Amino acid sequence: MSDKSKQNISDLMDGELPNDCSRFLLKRMQSDEALKSSWNNYHMLRSCLQQESDAPLMKNLGASVVKKLSSNTALEPVETSHLNAWMKPLAGTAIAASVALVAVFTFNQNQSIPQAEPLPVYAKTSQQVINPPNARAVRVEQPPGFTRYPSLTPQIQQYLSEKNNQPQIPVYYNVEYFNRRIDQHRLKVQQNTAE
Amino acid sequence: MKSQDQDKMSEKKLDAELVEQAKKGIMSAFELLVNRYQQRVANVISKFIKDKHEIQDVAQEVFIKVFRALPNFRGDSSFYTWIYRIAVNTSKNHLVAKSRRIQNTQVEFEDAESFVSNEDFRNLDTPDAVYSRGELEQTMSKAIAVLPEDLKKAIVLREVDGLSYDEIALKMNCPIGTVRSRIFRARDAIDQALRPLLDDENMRKQHVR
Repeated sequence: MSDKSKQNISDLMDGELPNDCSRFLLKRMQSDEALKSSWNNYHMLRSCLQQESDAPLMKNLGASVVKKLSSNTALEPVETSHLNAWMKPLAGTAIAASVALVAVFTFNQNQSIPQAEPLPVYAKTSQQVINPPNARAVRVEQPPGFTRYPSLTPQIQQYLSEKNNQPQIPVYYNVEYFNRRIDQHRLKVQQNTAE
Repeated sequence: MKSQDQDKMSEKKLDAELVEQAKKGIMSAFELLVNRYQQRVANVISKFIKDKHEIQDVAQEVFIKVFRALPNFRGDSSFYTWIYRIAVNTSKNHLVAKSRRIQNTQVEFEDAESFVSNEDFRNLDTPDAVYSRGELEQTMSKAIAVLPEDLKKAIVLREVDGLSYDEIALKMNCPIGTVRSRIFRARDAIDQALRPLLDDENMRKQHVR
């Protein structure tokens, strides 16, 4: 390799070589290892002089990048089509819409009560008041602030948390016995008033 | 003078030429392009990342992204401006990914303290790599130090201050041909100093293979 070729490389990297010579030299460098090595070493000197204190000195990174790219599948740069450019926001919208749909669907499933099994109706004691309409949600044992069912009103959440601390043994009444006792009581009251 | 300047392949045109060839899949052109900008990219990354081993990895990642995105480069801005943006974004993404990785990794206190088990917390080069890099830097520093004063001044004005040959000629009060020659001789001196070292390294690599 002549000194003239090397001087041309030096001029080329500074933008001081005529167009035609530059193109010719670029082509030659791609097949001539010695020329390529000079290009790399001249740039290493540049790197050393431009190196900032925190950065390591970079040494022929091009070879390792090309090696890595070659080990991957395609060497052709990836052409992003014009179609992709306007498809991108559409794809984003589609993903957002489907997430919202799934969220709504799941939420509704949690809220709905299966209609096949109607809730049994029991007589209650005065303390037990009534079951809330969706009494199956009683299984939630979280304080109202951290509930998984934010749609329930705070009163119902409070009720649930209080009820969960009490034993939930339903009390059954013999309605006929009560009716008999009530009749007896009425008769007694009537007799008393007649006397 | 003006027609001569117009006839020259400016640095911007040189980049554009290399980009065009790389777009066609000519990897040797891309290799020349990477070596042209490797240090400036590493300098940018070092603003975000302090570990030198990581800086090299991220620099490699940046240039792989650059290659893949080459068809999108239309040459409106300079090539360096374009890769600068990619370098900044890649560095930020690397930091985010690394913080996630560390959050998700449970490390025993003793292990973290002694840097025994976790690769994320230590980055060690092989002794050979450390030695060869150190030797290279030392050789280059020595070669620069022993350059004759006029060559050293010319190369520093060009590479550090970024002056054109015309401006250097004015500053050094000499013809432009002399500037051209001094810059080349400075570069060639470093090339000669580095060659035996790089040849040895190549031999060592081949021997290891």
